[in-house]
Amino acid sequence: MMRRLFEPATVEEQAPAGKVVTYALLALWSLVVLVPLYWVLITSFKGPGEVDNGPFYIPFVDFTPSLEAWDFMLLQNYTLGPYLNSVVVALASTLLAVLIGSLAAYALVRIRFQAKLAGVAVFLILLVAVIIAVATFGVQWEVAVAVAGALFLISLLTFVGRTRLALGNSDVEFWIISNRIMPPIVAVLPIYVMFQQLRLLDTQVALIATYTAVNLPIVVWLTRDFFAGIPLDLEESAEIDGASKFRVFFTIALPLVRSGLVATFLLVLILAWNEYLLALFLSNAKAQTMPVLVSAQNTTRGPQWWNMSVLIVVMIAPVVVIASVLQKHIARGLLVGAVKG
Amino acid sequence: MRVTLSQIHKSFGAVQVVKGLDLTIQDGEFLVLLGPSGCGKTTALRMVAGLESVTSGRILIGERDVTNVLPKYRDVAMVFQSYALYPHMTVAENIAYPLKLRKVPPAERDAAVRGAAAKVHLEEFLDRYPRQLSGGQRQRVALARAMVRRPSVFLMDEPLSNLDAKLRGHMRSELKRLQAELGVTTIYVTHDQVEAMTLAHRVAIMNKGVVQQIATPREIYEDPANLFVAGFIGSPPMNFLQGSLSGGTFAFGEGRFAVGVEGDRRNVTAGIRPEDCTVTSPSNGRISARVYSIELMGDHTLVTCQIGQEYLTVKADKLAQYAMDEPIGITFKDAAVFLFDSESGERIRSRARVDAMA
Ligand SMILES: Nc1ncnc2c1ncn2[C@@H]1O[C@H](COP(=O)(O)OP(=O)(O)OP(=O)(O)O)[C@@H](O)[C@H]1O
Ligand SMILES: [Mg+2]
Repeated sequence: MMRRLFEPATVEEQAPAGKVVTYALLALWSLVVLVPLYWVLITSFKGPGEVDNGPFYIPFVDFTPSLEAWDFMLLQNYTLGPYLNSVVVALASTLLAVLIGSLAAYALVRIRFQAKLAGVAVFLILLVAVIIAVATFGVQWEVAVAVAGALFLISLLTFVGRTRLALGNSDVEFWIISNRIMPPIVAVLPIYVMFQQLRLLDTQVALIATYTAVNLPIVVWLTRDFFAGIPLDLEESAEIDGASKFRVFFTIALPLVRSGLVATFLLVLILAWNEYLLALFLSNAKAQTMPVLVSAQNTTRGPQWWNMSVLIVVMIAPVVVIASVLQKHIARGLLVGAVKG
Repeated sequence: MRVTLSQIHKSFGAVQVVKGLDLTIQDGEFLVLLGPSGCGKTTALRMVAGLESVTSGRILIGERDVTNVLPKYRDVAMVFQSYALYPHMTVAENIAYPLKLRKVPPAERDAAVRGAAAKVHLEEFLDRYPRQLSGGQRQRVALARAMVRRPSVFLMDEPLSNLDAKLRGHMRSELKRLQAELGVTTIYVTHDQVEAMTLAHRVAIMNKGVVQQIATPREIYEDPANLFVAGFIGSPPMNFLQGSLSGGTFAFGEGRFAVGVEGDRRNVTAGIRPEDCTVTSPSNGRISARVYSIELMGDHTLVTCQIGQEYLTVKADKLAQYAMDEPIGITFKDAAVFLFDSESGERIRSRARVDAMA
């Protein structure tokens, strides 16, 4: 009898005891996830009175819901601007990051790179030299770059080729992921100064460029395994059939990793959509995004929970919609039938 | 189109995989590259396709030197062992892919796809995906995709090895017929000697990256160039006896018999095919032996005979009945005996035979 509790009836099933534990944990976790969402939703229909005198949880019973906060945020305040900024920045940067990142990942999987260590060193030294020459000695930058470029070429043609030490694909991959090791706050100030110099502060372009760069390593690391999983035969066959490398990438490799790519796209989109720190520094009025606007509701009069909740609800909504639409594409078994009998 | 490989070498790092391959495949010829696993057949084929660079040597397709030409400019079509169908495309899209890349207009493309599909009896499956097909059907899609654009050369890497025995036999005859109809030069890689013998105009036998013999299937079977070829071709394999040659007689551990070859030398291997031997009474045999075991194979019986330390298999009639350890004699014709130098593996030919062939 006890055994019956701990052993499954068939191989596809869980044991009864296991089932109970699984569903209990799932229920608990659902509660953890759903309660804050519920709280946000009802708070958006409250006013200062209901929040301060609360806690009230059940609309129409505990308190009378009102559309005051919705009216204030969506009609009286200019929320549409930041909303559009968020949409443009998140979509554009995600598309760019996934495109560039998957190209990079594919190249890293299929092409063998051997960058000579000496060449990399020469490049870095010349780069530093150019910066010093331009910044402290006032050399014209065109001249500095031309001279450095010439020196670099000469070094490539003379001694670099004869050195032995070289960086391989795994080094490149590690370098890419190392970009994410450093906390973003460290890089925020230099990035700020850079865009200030370029006069691009508070523009969508600055945010798109930054988000693309920041999310690239994630895309590369997620997609490289998808590409590595494609049987090489398929791509070689396409090459013999007459396809160029780019053709192979776009007509064979990309469609085959579609589900993985969709998952990656979704993840990066959410990261970009919710990004706060960089947006806080790089935008203030024109290019302000939603997360910044949400935190701005924490005013001198204290946090305006009801207004904040409205913003959070409208922020969550599109992500939920996109996620449920894309979920269908995250199908498995796309490679079935490619090889073997 | 004619394909010429001259002095092809290929190394992966320090490992030499192909060593000095010289091959000329005539226009319209069906050449089979045959050899044991790991001998470099696939590597050789991939070099012709351009998927692998050569370490040294030259490859010509027709008059054109393609040694350093990308695969897509070589105008070859390849059928992979794994078929390599594009899983996200229907059968029709798979077959049309090479044409699409060549910007063939849609109407013409559709006609060509239908034609190719009809050749391999796939008309009803054009709208299916590869995952909805059986192994044999997938294999036919791969074939259709290869022939749809009439390449200069077909390359096939063990295309039948994933099929069951019956289907393999069927596809073998289909393939032979298709190749004859299309008249496209074909290089076909396999380690299955039956495939090689049945399909090929000529067979090139490879071992350890070196071609051992290039000849018609009949010649390979009847006149093997060396010990390796003799042992590789034939099922059950040729019997080998180690011994020495003196005064026209081959002597080994427990016996001796006359051979039509003069000369005195040690370290000689004599080879006799099981089907060239017959079992007779002990007094009539050229070798006397004992029955070690007998196996009924259906249409014939394999009798393994023991001669001292050596064993010799005889292909006998299906009705043959012998008791274990029964003393018997084995007889064979002079011409059925092949002699080889045990060390180099080279064939030792009789003067008369060499003269006759010259
Ligand atoms: N990319 C590679 N790197 C290193 N060694 C390789 C590579 N490809 C093949 N080899 C080696 O070359 C040898 C020949 O390989 P190849 O695939 O040509 O054999 P094959 O004759 O086709 O064998 P099989 O009948 O098993 O397919 C093998 O020993 C293999 O280990
Ligand atoms: Mg092989």
